[in-house]
Amino acid sequence: MNAPSDDVLVAFQPSGHQARVPRGLTLLDVARRIGADIDSICGGRRTCGRCFVGVVEGTRHQAGGDLPAPLSPAEDDELACAARRRPGETGRLACAARVLGDLVVDVPANSRARRPLVRKAAGERAIALDPAVRLRAVQVAPHALGERDGDWQRLAAALAGQWGIQPTAIALPALRGLGAALHAGAGFVTVALHHDQTVLDVRPGFSDRALGLAVDLGSTTIAAHLCDLTTGAVLASESTVNPQVAFGEDLMSRVSYVMLNPDGLARLQQAVIGALNQLAHAAATRSGATSSDILELVVVGNTVMHQILLGIDPTALGAAPFTLASHAPLELRAAELGLQLHPAAMVYCPALEAGHVGSDNVAVLLAERPDQADALTLVIDVGTNAEIVLGDRHGLHSCSSPTGPAFEGAQITHGQRAAPGAIERVRIDRASGVARVRLIGDDDWLAADAPAAATGICGSGIIEVVAELLLAGIIQPDGRFAAAEWLQQRFGAVSAHWLRTHDGRPAYRLLDAGQSATGHEILVTQDDVRNVQLAKGALYAGCRVLLRQRGASRVERIVLAGAFGSYIDPLYAMVLGLIPDCDPAQVRAAGNAAGDGARIMLLDQASRPLAATLARQARYCETAIDPAFQEEFVAALHLPHASDAFPQLAARGMLPTVTHAPRERRARRQREGL
Amino acid sequence: MDPRELPDEELWLQMQDDLYDGERDAVCAAVRAALERGHGPSTVLAAGLVAGMDIVGADFRDGVLFVPEVLLAANAMKAGMEILRPLLVETGAPRIGTLVIGTVKGDIHDIGKNLVAMMMEGAGFEVINLGINNDAERFLGAVRQHQPDIIGMSALLTTTMPYMKVVIQALIDEGLRDQVFVMVGGAPVTESFARQVGADAYGRDAATAVELARGHMRQKLAS
Repeated sequence: MNAPSDDVLVAFQPSGHQARVPRGLTLLDVARRIGADIDSICGGRRTCGRCFVGVVEGTRHQAGGDLPAPLSPAEDDELACAARRRPGETGRLACAARVLGDLVVDVPANSRARRPLVRKAAGERAIALDPAVRLRAVQVAPHALGERDGDWQRLAAALAGQWGIQPTAIALPALRGLGAALHAGAGFVTVALHHDQTVLDVRPGFSDRALGLAVDLGSTTIAAHLCDLTTGAVLASESTVNPQVAFGEDLMSRVSYVMLNPDGLARLQQAVIGALNQLAHAAATRSGATSSDILELVVVGNTVMHQILLGIDPTALGAAPFTLASHAPLELRAAELGLQLHPAAMVYCPALEAGHVGSDNVAVLLAERPDQADALTLVIDVGTNAEIVLGDRHGLHSCSSPTGPAFEGAQITHGQRAAPGAIERVRIDRASGVARVRLIGDDDWLAADAPAAATGICGSGIIEVVAELLLAGIIQPDGRFAAAEWLQQRFGAVSAHWLRTHDGRPAYRLLDAGQSATGHEILVTQDDVRNVQLAKGALYAGCRVLLRQRGASRVERIVLAGAFGSYIDPLYAMVLGLIPDCDPAQVRAAGNAAGDGARIMLLDQASRPLAATLARQARYCETAIDPAFQEEFVAALHLPHASDAFPQLAARGMLPTVTHAPRERRARRQREGL
Repeated sequence: MDPRELPDEELWLQMQDDLYDGERDAVCAAVRAALERGHGPSTVLAAGLVAGMDIVGADFRDGVLFVPEVLLAANAMKAGMEILRPLLVETGAPRIGTLVIGTVKGDIHDIGKNLVAMMMEGAGFEVINLGINNDAERFLGAVRQHQPDIIGMSALLTTTMPYMKVVIQALIDEGLRDQVFVMVGGAPVTESFARQVGADAYGRDAATAVELARGHMRQKLAS
């Protein structure tokens, strides 16, 4: 109240920062003095439009007419910049408006340097935007005759003076271009800084182009998301098959390839680097940029992918005790790996968990944050190796379980990867035993007279068909086909339409040859069911081992990560006993959580140490040597389980009814001729 | 049904059925009934338990039975064997053969290997199960100590199966190779891989492994 008259009271909302400051400062200066968060790239040159703010209280005073205008009037360059960069918004540029009277300033979310990104869809995560690579525009003083400082020293001094930061290094490619940039911009340049310490790039004039690439490096598929580091927007997403597949389908065969071939590691590394370069090029081209605009790359992957990418021999990961070179996060230059991005681009490889659990799972943890959950949460990333995390805010347990490739369609007679033409949904009529199917890419169930279109059964279709066979009583809870005589008695003559013999064992005809693009009937064989049992038994047993370690008997929430998790029906996964009993409303598909986690680490540098902490917090269990695993595995081979209760399935009438034929033991032996 | 009331032929069938169904107590009751009736332990083993496990093995190979059922049957077999073992020792009845089995160094998977071990026991072999992660020294030590007829090595990873060759080379270097029949198996192992590393036989499943082991013992006895 008694403040000197040349001071004014400025308050920022919603942060609540406020202080009395000298009249005449710009709002951006005030914000920096008192620690309020307002973004800027151009450093107050009325160029970037990032510092756009609304004036709340001052305008009312002004309208009252009894107080002087709280801000200096807008000049032409401010109006032009605002019209160009923030069309349709009302407000002022904080770097241009000088405080003249008391006022309250509203800093909208998209004007804060560290800001939440808006969720566009329900499934999209809120990510804070605070990238490791930032752009800052500075005016560098010209070199005066007799002065000893070089261009870099004057640039560093300008960054210190105008931005209050102390850069410690400049990348060689940036140093090479520094003189020309200063000349072309007449001393006004935009600098890309890594952690505000290392100058990666210097461009003449103002620029707001800074791109980053978040990559989920899977053993089968590589997915890349190109992001604008100044807005957080995803500009393009690209994916490709990991070319290492040519050297071996699964991880262990890639490790074998390295073990058996002197140049194996180099070839695998070159393959993945080549794929990353192509993805970067494709994504950049699609968004009207070039690979050289990409200043940072974040790559998550399993431990073998991680070490091969870095050119570290993965042999020790191929056998117990599964020794990692290092579990710590790594920051390195992209050029060191032969990546063709910006010549000074950086690569961030997040922390790993354990010998079998890589940064992809850490990324899932970061995206899903089970460590913050009140409900006991099970996070399952289904792949050839399933990574399982169980926990809540009291702690996390993790393990890896060898599910094998059955859910990716491998080891299944007519299995295939998810692609148009694959059977993804199956319903079997309980009275006739006849199936109807839906194909990927179709909205409706396949009509009986539809032309031949089906190419095979993908993972979700495999789960549904085995679950439906169980519910229809065609296979028994032990996984065995019911006796043919019993099936004929139960279903009548119609059973001849679908009951088949394959390699001397019973099989189920899912689709006739006329509707199959292969020209052959699409079958589900006894061996297929056995392979599904092995895969799901390993997964379920992993969950049980973690529950046991936690001392819990039930999970309250299940998150299915990975593309596969998005397509499977949780109820059918439960009927099969792939996942433990849980309220289906509490089972959620998390999409590409690993890719989302990579994007979080690209856009928010504070998430990186957090990810490293999560990686160390999760208590890892080696299932193969857990004394309970074999017992749990054997019990989990049953459909859905030998002893665990499934009250949620029971309530929905989705438990198999045990009305099977009695075992004909003597007859069996006679058949065997024994 | 009281096994003591059955005629001999029915009693063996009953024992095999109970074994097939993993009915541990029923198997024990049938074994005791057969012994009470004056059958020697070798006869009970051969006509009841081994014959029963042969059916289990064949049905496992054919996909009729699966891991849980086989484990139950193997446990019932084990319970019956507990009764017979002291009697077999007493009567000096020779075992069909001795087998040392283990998962090789670097590999910690053993469910499949344990199944093979159980089926071998079911076939009447004396089985020394070394467990997981065994280096060449452990295999050599077991060969010296137990003088087995057969060594079985298992691996579940393509990265660990090359170690089988290391073990076989160690057997050669120590002059023990000629004493033992070397069998290998595990998901990534193939017939050609077995030949390549110098093994004597490859068992693609537990039942096949038992047949191969028996065949080897027959040959050994004949020569």
